[in-house]
Amino acid sequence: MFGWLKRGASRGGEAPPAATAAERGILVFENTSEVIRAEQRLRDSGRPVRVMGPPPEIRTGCDLVIEFPLIEELAVRRLLEEAGLQPLQVVPVSGPLLKPVDLFQVKDFGDFLMIRAANMKLTFEKETRRIVNVSGGGCPDVPYLARELVGKTLEQAPEPRRIGHTLCGYALQLALEESRRRCSS
Amino acid sequence: MALVDARGLSCPQPVLLALGEMKKLGTGSLEILVDTDTSVENVTRAAESQGWNVKDVRPEGVGYRMIVEKA
Repeated sequence: MFGWLKRGASRGGEAPPAATAAERGILVFENTSEVIRAEQRLRDSGRPVRVMGPPPEIRTGCDLVIEFPLIEELAVRRLLEEAGLQPLQVVPVSGPLLKPVDLFQVKDFGDFLMIRAANMKLTFEKETRRIVNVSGGGCPDVPYLARELVGKTLEQAPEPRRIGHTLCGYALQLALEESRRRCSS
Repeated sequence: MALVDARGLSCPQPVLLALGEMKKLGTGSLEILVDTDTSVENVTRAAESQGWNVKDVRPEGVGYRMIVEKA
């Protein structure tokens, strides 16, 4: 389902705070549901993690990985174990072919900015920050998510993670968060 | 009636073209040509969020002709 990630998302964005390439690691999981649960668990614990696309060298697992500060590996493993989550691999980012791929693609349409996260696209008007379009995915809840978000500002929009029921909702959440981040920086 | 021909354009461009024309017109009627069901849905949502009503959607060629209005 998420094969488009391996076709090459754009690079860019920022690494988690205070972590250079040699200090980062990635967690590889068997499926995206585990990635979502692990990300939530680690975020709840205050860890600066980030969901990304898998690097070219990683041939196992699903099409999402979690990047984390390597120095926290033991604590991260313990947290995941407590949550019943077992990564397939924990890999230090030790070279360019092990560098995870950014999930986001950004397209500037002048007055509008489109943020694509994985398979979902969110477009908003720069001046008003109002969401004008939500598309992509192919999941059954996308029309509902689009109805709930279109016409609202980035701040007013409900969290797709809370109201959605599929991976498209999760991807849309990432797009919304990235949109907010770009508008606040 | 003003016309936006968004056939052959990928998402979200049909929506952005339609919104641009709606903004320019302010009120009145606008015809929009699109070529996918998804574009019809996306333009409808965007138009309604701006207070425009979709008065008609009819198949035309391999796509659709939409008419939206705002009093």
